[in-house]
Amino acid sequence: MIRFALSRLAQVLFTIWAITVLVFALSHATGSPLDTLLPDDATPEQIAALTSRLGLDQPYHIQYLRFLGSALQGDFGDSLRWRGEPALGLVLDRLPATLSLGGLAVLISLAVALPLGVVAATRKDSWIDLLARAIALLGQAIPAFWLGIVLIWVFAVWLQWLPTSGQGGLRHMILPAIAIAWFQIAALVRLTRSAMLDVLDTEYVKLARIKGLAESRVVWKHAFVNAASVPLTYFGILAGSVLTGSIVVETVFSWPGTGWLAIEAIRGRDFPVIQAVVLFFAVIFLAANYLVDLLYAWLDPRVRHG
Amino acid sequence: MTERTGRLRKAAALVLGATLALGITAPAALAERLVIVMDPPSAETNRFWETSGDLALGPAMQTLVGNDPRTGEFDNSGLAESWEHNEDFTRWTFRLHPEARFHQDWGPVTTADVVHSYDLHTGEDSILTGINLLRGAELEVQDEHTITFVLPEPRPNFLFAHGGRGIMVIYSKAQYEAEGIEGYDRRPAGTGHFEFASRSIGEGVVFSAVSDHWSGTDATVSELAIRYVSEPSTKLAMLRAREAQIVALPRELQPEAVDAGFAIVSSTNPAMQTAFMFNNLYPPDVDGHNPDLPWLDVRIREAINRSIDREVLMEVLYDGRADTLVRFMMDPLNEGYAPELAERFEAAYGYDPDRARALLAEAGYPDAFADPVIPIVSTTLGGNPEFPVMAELLQVFMDEVGLQTELREMDWGTLGGMARARTAYVLRPMRNAPIRPTEVGLRVFFSSHGRPINFYEHETVEALLAEMATTIDAQARDELGRAAFTHLFEDYSDIPIAAVAYEIAVDPDRVAGWDFPGATAIGLSHWHLIDLVE
Repeated sequence: MIRFALSRLAQVLFTIWAITVLVFALSHATGSPLDTLLPDDATPEQIAALTSRLGLDQPYHIQYLRFLGSALQGDFGDSLRWRGEPALGLVLDRLPATLSLGGLAVLISLAVALPLGVVAATRKDSWIDLLARAIALLGQAIPAFWLGIVLIWVFAVWLQWLPTSGQGGLRHMILPAIAIAWFQIAALVRLTRSAMLDVLDTEYVKLARIKGLAESRVVWKHAFVNAASVPLTYFGILAGSVLTGSIVVETVFSWPGTGWLAIEAIRGRDFPVIQAVVLFFAVIFLAANYLVDLLYAWLDPRVRHG
Repeated sequence: MTERTGRLRKAAALVLGATLALGITAPAALAERLVIVMDPPSAETNRFWETSGDLALGPAMQTLVGNDPRTGEFDNSGLAESWEHNEDFTRWTFRLHPEARFHQDWGPVTTADVVHSYDLHTGEDSILTGINLLRGAELEVQDEHTITFVLPEPRPNFLFAHGGRGIMVIYSKAQYEAEGIEGYDRRPAGTGHFEFASRSIGEGVVFSAVSDHWSGTDATVSELAIRYVSEPSTKLAMLRAREAQIVALPRELQPEAVDAGFAIVSSTNPAMQTAFMFNNLYPPDVDGHNPDLPWLDVRIREAINRSIDREVLMEVLYDGRADTLVRFMMDPLNEGYAPELAERFEAAYGYDPDRARALLAEAGYPDAFADPVIPIVSTTLGGNPEFPVMAELLQVFMDEVGLQTELREMDWGTLGGMARARTAYVLRPMRNAPIRPTEVGLRVFFSSHGRPINFYEHETVEALLAEMATTIDAQARDELGRAAFTHLFEDYSDIPIAAVAYEIAVDPDRVAGWDFPGATAIGLSHWHLIDLVE
């Protein structure tokens, strides 16, 4: 088990190193921060001073090694756009906003999609099944930014039930959470419905019905529990999106989470923040996967023995 | 049961009383709080000198020199009550308002604060626009309230560095010594009619009004919440939902706001000039010269200008609320204004597709050109949402007369990088906001002094500017500026488009008016003059 854990750890560390190279190369490939920081009429002296201050006059390998050395200590430097703010601190500060919004979106999508998918499967070709299929189709066809704007106009401007944008409590989270959840609902409804249709057609479900069990017990206890593995697999992808935030929805609703931070940092070529955002999420994802691998190996000896 | 009912009645009465109290007091409190929605600034920071010049702290921080809210002319509404210069503009002496005080009890404004602020703004980490106007001075402190800037050469436009455009705002030295730079990051003490209350990254800044302001006038608004919103439809929704009372709305959405009963308030003077520039108009021996650029031929430049129906441009881009620009960088309020160019404009630049086609034929376009395709840049810049449409319209007009064009989308930063490398072989949009003094604008964009990003170099303009740099006589300077503008006009050095006021959409139920001259980089200023509906 220890050998397995060490082997997997080595793979994780190699992957993180590869990501540092990629993120360094890609952020530099987007252009120079000088282009966005300096005014149009910057003097040659200002250009030279900023180039030197940011270390951009050093060879790439020196810049990379400096970046790597600092990153290992959790120091990505100060943001170029949000002066005076450490890059990693900015990411951590934005995280609660994204997590709360994403968490609510997942709750909404689970609360809507699972029952709807199950009912649609049990009443195949009924009006509710047609509704579920329409939602699945529309959910994947409607762009999130368009839906976000429509939600704002209907619920904030015309009905004036909810605020248009910004942060400030649960009321501010409802519309952006629905905009994020809409796509998730579509995917989950489709997956739940098809998984349920498969399970409802199996012999043990038929047997349960023949034995005279109540339909609700057959559906929810016997069928759904077995069908749930399919939407649960998709839940992993949902969790990822919760963590990284939705760039489009956060921009439309002026919700400064990590998605917003990432896009603003890219726009401003804020290398320290871009690198901090990407590496932070990469480390989180890799750590989670590493733990899952260890759990698998602990539960199933066949995994650790190859 | 009776006791319980009594308790319930008491509770209900309390709730009702509280509700009524809120109902009575809430509108009064709301009436004094305004939400202003703007584009996010290029840098969110309290360190002004580490921005390119976006004074997002305008309500709280002041410069030495103010601007008249109606005319835009320099006045003593800033921290200096008066100033004078010697004959050759190398010594500028400012006398501070003795009663001016910093917020948060950081004491009176003295010349020590001016010296401290000068050091901050001219240090190595300063990336401010136009910094050359400020750098190189020696500061002579006469007394607590009098200071002289001794300049290495005549700088007749020195006030521009200290006015609304302001590349030097005054920070408190006492706060810096007590709290360090972190003090400024947390809560910088300014001297304006509002004091900095808080900043939420990505959301905005909140300012609270200063009571008994040292200037003797107080703001009518008790709290200003500036919200940063980048999505235009969200901005409009905030206005329509009455969440915001003042919104910097793109022009294409303004008619919708007006139809819904909102009002448009404009700056009292043009706040910006827009143009399309012919990049790299350099002589053959200058780095960046590219002999294949079709627009090196003046006939092509004239043909392009002739192909454009500016009336349509004004209508589509600015809803008819802009003036056709005669010459980029030339302004009636500044040196070198040549009114005769306005009279000649129609004859020289007026829409004439036949003349454009004839010029192209005369130039042998396209066969005589190695690379006849003209790339037009479509880009976005905060405050100029019209640039992409401008590029598309330009392409339509140019195609119409037979010019071969190609639209290239790129972000402003990439364009800046190409310009700095002197390889921006494109037609690109440009703005002049706020409108720079003549000599500053000409030096930066139309002479070799502006390298690496200058658009144009020509010996005539170089000579005129060299003479202007050593000329202190106002009339002579005016003539030199006029000659330079005339040369650029006749050489079709660019494609002037519009002189535009800064416009905001306001809720007329809450905001009765606002006089601001459009003299700052962000367009807005004079926050204390926001006039609320009684």
